[in-house]
Amino acid sequence: MENRNEFQAPQEINGWRTIGLGVGGVFSLIILAIAVLSPGMREQALRSWLLGYIFWGGIGFGCLGVLILQYLTGGAWGVVTRRILEAGARTLPVLAVLFIPIAVGVTSLYEWTHLPNDEIIKHRQPYLSVEWFIIRSVLYFIMWGAMVYFLNKWSQRQDEAGDYETQLKMAQDASKFSGPTMVFFVLVVSFAAIDWVMTLDPHWFSTMWGFLFVAGWGLSCFCFVVAVLAYLSDKAPMNRIVGKRHFHDLGKLMLALVMVWAYFNFSQFLIIWSGNIPEETTWYLRRQHGGWGVLGIVLVLFHFAFPFLVLLTREVKMKPKWLALLAIFILVLRLVDMFFLISPNPRIAVPEQELGLLQSFSWMDIVAPIGIGGIWLWAFFGELLKRPLVPVNDPYLPNAIEHGKGH
Amino acid sequence: MDRKIYGLMAEFDTATQMVEAARKIREAGYKKTDGFSPFPLHEIDEALGIKRSILPYLVFGGAVVGAIAGLGLQYFVHVQDYPLIVGGRPFFSLPSFIPATYELTILFAGFTAVFGMLFLNGLPQPYHPVFNVPRFALASREKFFLLIETKDAKFDYEETRSFMQSLNPQEVFDVEE
Repeated sequence: MENRNEFQAPQEINGWRTIGLGVGGVFSLIILAIAVLSPGMREQALRSWLLGYIFWGGIGFGCLGVLILQYLTGGAWGVVTRRILEAGARTLPVLAVLFIPIAVGVTSLYEWTHLPNDEIIKHRQPYLSVEWFIIRSVLYFIMWGAMVYFLNKWSQRQDEAGDYETQLKMAQDASKFSGPTMVFFVLVVSFAAIDWVMTLDPHWFSTMWGFLFVAGWGLSCFCFVVAVLAYLSDKAPMNRIVGKRHFHDLGKLMLALVMVWAYFNFSQFLIIWSGNIPEETTWYLRRQHGGWGVLGIVLVLFHFAFPFLVLLTREVKMKPKWLALLAIFILVLRLVDMFFLISPNPRIAVPEQELGLLQSFSWMDIVAPIGIGGIWLWAFFGELLKRPLVPVNDPYLPNAIEHGKGH
Repeated sequence: MDRKIYGLMAEFDTATQMVEAARKIREAGYKKTDGFSPFPLHEIDEALGIKRSILPYLVFGGAVVGAIAGLGLQYFVHVQDYPLIVGGRPFFSLPSFIPATYELTILFAGFTAVFGMLFLNGLPQPYHPVFNVPRFALASREKFFLLIETKDAKFDYEETRSFMQSLNPQEVFDVEE
């Protein structure tokens, strides 16, 4: 292929990095300062931090999952988005650092650290202990880290390889590695989602929980990738790489994941609603009163129905700017969905009380996601600048570029 | 000439040549045209000016009808015709109606897609004149064909034939009725 430098990401991205680090740094410091200095607001600050972390971390972890997925399925969309996915996956060290406030503040964030006499929690003690929680989280990052390390190493070797055999072998190695790795990835995501989010309500459980995050984070990732790709698509070098058919394919995958998200959520709801057992229904009852029910309807209408109907039309999927607009809309709803999962859970400060939507909502629920988002985008764009924007030596690259133009 | 001609057909070796020729045919003002290729070729629609199928709208309509039918059926059975208390739930329990409604939506959409496609394509069609050209069998293997029908307002045997020759095809065939 041609000179690697021709596929360098546009330098104007550096401007976004500065803004991201500036805004993100200041906003994050505000939240962390409150968490450290004000014991009364510590729980809310950490919960808002968790909200931002699960939202932005979800895009990063989702990028790793979709990176594994595209090695398994093949396809032009995977080749042209691979470098964006790799950059998203390589933000893992930054995500590990951003996790530190949650690990340090675990006793101020999770109610199960404050229920020594609760009969059910006593029986869950072997799993729900602070030491184990932190050890498990470290293990998740190690396992994710290994996946990120190998997939990026082979991809880089492919970029540097001069001979076709090595280039092809790197692509094949990555594919072989991705099969079993996908199984572990889904398991790690399930455990992480259960540890970090589900245990906020320590009495409640759902076996569907892991899949809500596998699908949700996958959707977040696709929306993010579409937005970034649409931004890059009219600038060099991507303007001669991506075509409307790539966006068409990514739009179809967005549609599929919007439906999977709805399918998993409804499955969980239908089973709990049919069973009608008090220990399971509490979770939904909490989310029906005090304004939460309205938010639930908003999610059904705007996280599922509206994007579903819009994505049915081919015109929207083929217009990068329209699709990117819809992707950003879905991303906002992803944040609302995470708020719906995280915020209504019992709080250590008021264990017996069920807070309504307006009582639960805090200004920190907006500041923390912006703060973490700024830092994460700074890391993401930094990683994006490090390598050519397409896998220059991938044997399938010419086909993938041709596919975008139509045929 | 006593034999009846259905149209004239040109054979091409590559998709690119075919699409180029199709553009010229359209620019020349021919309307009753068709293209044949061994694999889906989206550009040919645009090159020949073939309008997008209305099938997606029919499928959407089928899906809506399916959803209404599914929900309506369950409403009629569980609320109107034979109300039974199941698990202490109200007669009209929407969550438990969703799976069957969803299935009927898919079923109706699927049926509309299959039968709508057959209908819009005019299938089943036991006879079509293009198969009178022996080499046309290659359209399902490696060759590309363009057809101009005699029904076209601009069609004139000699003129159209020399026009098609000017497109640099492999060969131009008379398609007998």
